[in-house]
Amino acid sequence: MDTFSRRKFLQLTGMSAAGAAATQLSLASIAEAAQTRPMPTGTPILVVVTLYGGNDGLNTLVPYKDPIYSASRPGISLTAKDVIPLGVDDLALNATMVGFKTLWDRGQLAIIRGVGYPTPDYSHFSSMAFWQTASPHTFLNSGWIGRWLDTQPADPFKAIGLGSVLPPLLAGVKNSGSVLPLGGLVVPKGLMGQEFKALGKSSSSDSPLQAAAAASFGDLMSLSKKIEPVLSKPAPVPDDLPSAIGGNFGSDTSLSQQLDIVAKLIAAGAPTKVWAVSLGGFDTHADEVKAQSALIGTVSTAITKFLSQVHATDRANDVTVMVHSEFGRRVKANGTSGTDHGTSGPVFVLGQGVNGGQFFGDEPSLSKLVNGDLAVTTDFRNIYGSMIEDVLGAPTGKVIPNWNTKIDGLMLKA
Amino acid sequence: MASNPDRLVISRLINRFGFGPKPGQYASLLAMGVSAAQSLLLTPPTTDIGLTKVVEPDFPDRGDFPPSGTPERVAFETNQRSDRINLELWWLDRMVLADHGLRERITWFWHGHWATSLGKLAYARPMKIQNETLRKNALGNFKEMAQAMVIDPALMYWLDAGANIKTAPNENLARELMELFTLGVGHYSEDDVKSVARGLTGYTVDRTAGTFTFEPKRHDATTFIILGNTGSWDASSIINTLVARPDNQKFITDRLWFRLMSTSLPTPSDIASTFVNREILPAVQKIATYVTSTDPLLSQVRSPVEWFVAACRALKITPSTAQNRAQIINYLDKLGQYPFNPPNVGGWPYDEAWLNIASTQYRIGFAAFLVAQGDTSPINGLKGLTMENALTDWLGIPEFSTRTKAVIRGSGLTTAQIVSLALCSPEYVVNG
Repeated sequence: MDTFSRRKFLQLTGMSAAGAAATQLSLASIAEAAQTRPMPTGTPILVVVTLYGGNDGLNTLVPYKDPIYSASRPGISLTAKDVIPLGVDDLALNATMVGFKTLWDRGQLAIIRGVGYPTPDYSHFSSMAFWQTASPHTFLNSGWIGRWLDTQPADPFKAIGLGSVLPPLLAGVKNSGSVLPLGGLVVPKGLMGQEFKALGKSSSSDSPLQAAAAASFGDLMSLSKKIEPVLSKPAPVPDDLPSAIGGNFGSDTSLSQQLDIVAKLIAAGAPTKVWAVSLGGFDTHADEVKAQSALIGTVSTAITKFLSQVHATDRANDVTVMVHSEFGRRVKANGTSGTDHGTSGPVFVLGQGVNGGQFFGDEPSLSKLVNGDLAVTTDFRNIYGSMIEDVLGAPTGKVIPNWNTKIDGLMLKA
Repeated sequence: MASNPDRLVISRLINRFGFGPKPGQYASLLAMGVSAAQSLLLTPPTTDIGLTKVVEPDFPDRGDFPPSGTPERVAFETNQRSDRINLELWWLDRMVLADHGLRERITWFWHGHWATSLGKLAYARPMKIQNETLRKNALGNFKEMAQAMVIDPALMYWLDAGANIKTAPNENLARELMELFTLGVGHYSEDDVKSVARGLTGYTVDRTAGTFTFEPKRHDATTFIILGNTGSWDASSIINTLVARPDNQKFITDRLWFRLMSTSLPTPSDIASTFVNREILPAVQKIATYVTSTDPLLSQVRSPVEWFVAACRALKITPSTAQNRAQIINYLDKLGQYPFNPPNVGGWPYDEAWLNIASTQYRIGFAAFLVAQGDTSPINGLKGLTMENALTDWLGIPEFSTRTKAVIRGSGLTTAQIVSLALCSPEYVVNG
C-alpha cells in the first residue's frame, strides 16, 4: 500500500476488543497532570517510533561498496555520492540522515543490524502485530508496552500514543495506554461554543456509548487555558545540531509535529514514561529512491531535532528513542524501481544513555541470503529486553512471553 | 423513559438495517408499528425508485501509468483522481438515494468484511466490479459470495494473489481468506495457510481491466491436505471446504451481529442456526429481531460514513452534486472513514474509536457544512415542543435527553444551528 501508516494499521481483528479500553486524553488533562504531579527528573522515558510499511534497511544503512548490493538493485542502489560513510564495516547512512550521523559521532546513536524474528511473514498486518505484541507467529491480543503497563499501577498518563486510535503496542490486558489526538483543535466560539459545551454534560438517560460521545464534547470544549501556555511556549531551545540537506523533505512532517508535542510535554513534566509516535509511507514497491530517502531523512531530522529539544531541558539524560519498522525489504529490486516485502532491517536506538557510535548485531551477508532475503541476525525481542530492563527497569520475562535476554552493553547504565 | 418504546426499536431498525430515514419515513414507520416496520425494512424490494436517480459512472480500462515526468502522466493522474472521487461519491449517492436501505447497508457491511482498498489498487474500475459483486450477493448465499470473491481481481491484487505461483506461493490471500473472511483466527493451522496458498496458485490479475486469468502451468495441482481433507485443489474447492466448516457458520453470524447490533454483547445462541445453509438474509432478519432488547449495550456509534449518509438522507443532499463535493471526502477522511479506503484488510474500527476530541471537532465542522446546503424544511418556522418533536421525527431520534433538550432550546439559535447541534448530539451520533 502506497500510504501505509499507523492510521491505516489501526488494529487487527479482535485486538482492541479484548484489550483494556483506551482512554482519550486531552492536552489539557496532560498539561494539568504535568503541573499537579510532575514526573521527577531522572525518570527514564522511552519514545517508540514506528515506521509503517516496511522501511528498506539496505537503502537506510547502506552496504554501498558491496558489488552484490549494486548488482541486485539496478537503478535503485545508492552510490558513494548518495551516502554518508560511518567508517565501520563499509556501511553508510543514506545521505539524508545528516542528523543521525552527528548523533552517531557523539556516541548517542547505536545501530542494531539484521533485526527481525524467526520465519518471515511478509504481511504488513501480521509482521507489525508480531512486533507490537512481541509475539511472533503466536496470536496475543495485548501489546508489549501494554503488558508492561499491566505490571504498573493503573495510570492513564503512563503511556501515550499520538493520534486518534490506540496503537496495539499500548493495549494491555488490565491496563492500557492512552491516545492524544493530533492537530490544532478548533472549537466553536460564542453562542455555539456554549451550546456544544452543554452537549458535553452527561444525562441519566445516556447509554454508555452516548455518555462517551457527550464526554468527547466535554474534553474538546473544556480545552483548558492551562494547556495553552505549554503548547504556545516556544520549544526548548535546540542546540547547534545541523539541519539535514535542504532542511525539509517532502510534505509529511507529521512525525516532527508529533515529536514537537512530546518534547513540550516532556519538558513540562508530564507523568508519562512511554510515548508512541509513528510515520507511514515506507511501503516503497515503486519509484523507491526518492520517496524512501525523503522519508528516512524526515525520521533523522525530526528525531535529531527532538533530542536536541530534550537535551536543552533538565531531562537530557532521561530520554531513549527506539526506531523500528515491521520488516525490511527484498534485496533485489522489483520491476517497478522499488522493492517488495523482505525480512530483517536495522533498528536505531538513540539518546544520551545509549552506548552509541557503534553497531550491535551482525550485518546480514548479501552473499548468504535465505530464500533470497536477508538473514535475521538479531531477534527484536532482545532490543525490547534492553528497553524493558535497562530503560523501564522491569524484568523482561514479565512482559515478553518466554523471553529474558537483551542486547548486552546497548545501554550505558546497564 | 416515558416515551413510546417503539421509537427506539424503529430507530434501530431504520439505522442498523438501513442508513437512517428520509424525511417523513420515521413517522410513517411509527404509525404502522414495529411488526409491520420490521417486515418492510427487512424485506428487500424488487425495484427501488430512489436508486433510479443515481447517475452511473463509467470507468474505462485506463491502462498502465505512463512514465513519470511526461505530460501523459500528468493527464493520467488527473483522470485517476477524478475516477476515484467519482467512484466514492457514486456509492455514497446510492446509500443516500435508495428508498429501501437494506441492500446498500449490508453491502457496506461486506465491504468492511472483505476490506479492499483503492489506495493500493489505484484503479476505480476493478473496485467498482468488486462492489457490484458484493451488492449482488449481499443478501444471498455466502458460499456464492465467497466463490466470487476469491477470484475477484481487486481482492486478489490487494492481497498479492496475482503473483502467487507454484514455485513461490504467496500466503497473503490464503491467510486472510481463513482468518478474516471465512473462519476466524485460530480455526486453522499454519500448514493450512501454506496449503491454501498452494491451492490458490496460478492466477494472474490485470488490475487495469479488472480481470484475471488462470494459468494451469503456474498452478500447484498436486495432492495435499487442507483442514484434514486430502485432494487436488483450486479456488472453488477450497471455498467449498472452508464454507462447509461449522466455524464458518459461527464466524459470519458473529461478524454480522458485531457490526449490526453490538460490539460488546455476545451473539445470541439462536442466530447461527439461521445460517445453516449460508443464506445471509435469514441471518440478518433474525439478528433484527433483537432490536427490542432494552440492554443499553445494544447502543452503537455511527461510523463516519453512516453518520454522513444519514444526515444527507435527512437533508436531501446528493453527495455527487453537492456544493464543494471534494470537501465531503476531505471531511470523511479527517473523520477516518470513506468508501473504498479501509485502513487495512481487517476493516474499520468501531464504536469508541469514532468518539474522541479530534473527530468531535471535525463532526461539528462537517455538520455545519452540510446543514448550510441542506433542506431543513421539516422544522422551518416551527418553535418549542412542536419543533422538537418534528426534529426527532425527522432525524429518527427516539427522544432527546434533558441535556440536549436544554441545548436546542437555547435562545437566539437559528434553525441551521439547531440542526447542527442535533446532528452532533450524543443521541444522534450514537444510535440508542
